[in-house]
Amino acid sequence: MPDLLIKGWQWICLAVGGGFFAIGTLGLFRFSDTLSRVHALTKVDNLGLGFIVIGLLPAVESVAGGVKLMLVWGAALAASATSAHLVARTVQRRPGMTLNEEYQRDD
Amino acid sequence: MTAVLNAVAAILLFTLLVALVRIWRGPDPADRMLASQLFGTTGVGFLLVLSEALEAPALVDVALTLALLSVLALVAFVTRVAPSVSGDGRSGANEEDRNA
Amino acid sequence: MLRYQGSRLWPLSLRTLCLLAVWWALTLGEPSALGFGLVVAVLAARLSVMLFPPSGYRLSLPGLVRFAGYFLVKSLIAGLDVARRLLKPVVDVHPGQIRVRLRLPDGSPRWLLANTLSLMPGTLSVRFEGEWLWLHCLDTRQAVVRDVRTTEARVATVFGLSLSEEEAKS
Repeated sequence: MPDLLIKGWQWICLAVGGGFFAIGTLGLFRFSDTLSRVHALTKVDNLGLGFIVIGLLPAVESVAGGVKLMLVWGAALAASATSAHLVARTVQRRPGMTLNEEYQRDD
Repeated sequence: MTAVLNAVAAILLFTLLVALVRIWRGPDPADRMLASQLFGTTGVGFLLVLSEALEAPALVDVALTLALLSVLALVAFVTRVAPSVSGDGRSGANEEDRNA
Repeated sequence: MLRYQGSRLWPLSLRTLCLLAVWWALTLGEPSALGFGLVVAVLAARLSVMLFPPSGYRLSLPGLVRFAGYFLVKSLIAGLDVARRLLKPVVDVHPGQIRVRLRLPDGSPRWLLANTLSLMPGTLSVRFEGEWLWLHCLDTRQAVVRDVRTTEARVATVFGLSLSEEEAKS
């Protein structure tokens, strides 16, 4: 019985992960500016990857295998955050798209 | 279990393919470079699921390499292709937000 | 608390241990590969100390653990937040850029903050400009700066730093 429970948990995690990846891709089309698309890719896709990793964890044979999966996740997280920053840096700021910190404070 | 894994892998591959339409359409070079980030996350997820489905542990190593290489591709893009971003002519700090 | 002792031996051995752990995971705990791993880990740690000398920050282990927890919860919220905005009939965003004056010192603390903010709800670090960090926000109607300050304080505890309040006001 617990075996079935773990399997069910895995299925749910994998399905949710796949769902988040699909939403991330949707963001590439629904968001109208490049930087918002980067938001979608960075945050939603990383969550998707997280769920996939959690879904796969019960299936690994050794502790080292589990650590390795977490390592891949961590590397992908760091890679994604760095990539997001690098892409964002190259996007030219359009006039009218800015507001300053003081404005935020008055909010 | 394998059926579920294969289904998830198929979903991931499908989202990757759909996302390539955005890369194809652009229009900004930065939009196109999102492909690199895309392979760094969706590609990695796909390979991890596939590794479990095919019982091919080496694919985990491929996933790790892909994640690390995706950043290098972007570094190359930023330093060689993208226009200089040295911060000149950026005095827009006090502009009001038009939509506010 | 992991304290930097001022000698070179401590960061070297710490990095060797970390790299050895990574090697152990990458080789799936294969015992016959550990010999190679030890040699590679020592050489790589030696090289890393040469290329990236110890910064002298006292990393706080409890701070690091708490930061990891905070980060996991917040990045979960971030993903759900973007997903929720995307799935509405009309995409619910109000994008814009803001800049905040950083109170953290240059180097690793700022780097950690910028990368973390990119995975936090609603913010994406765009570029550094001296003391300032430009952020792209999905929704500028939210109290973005308050969230940035919270994360900044969390990063500060990881590095055992204290932030002065007057600097934030200027």
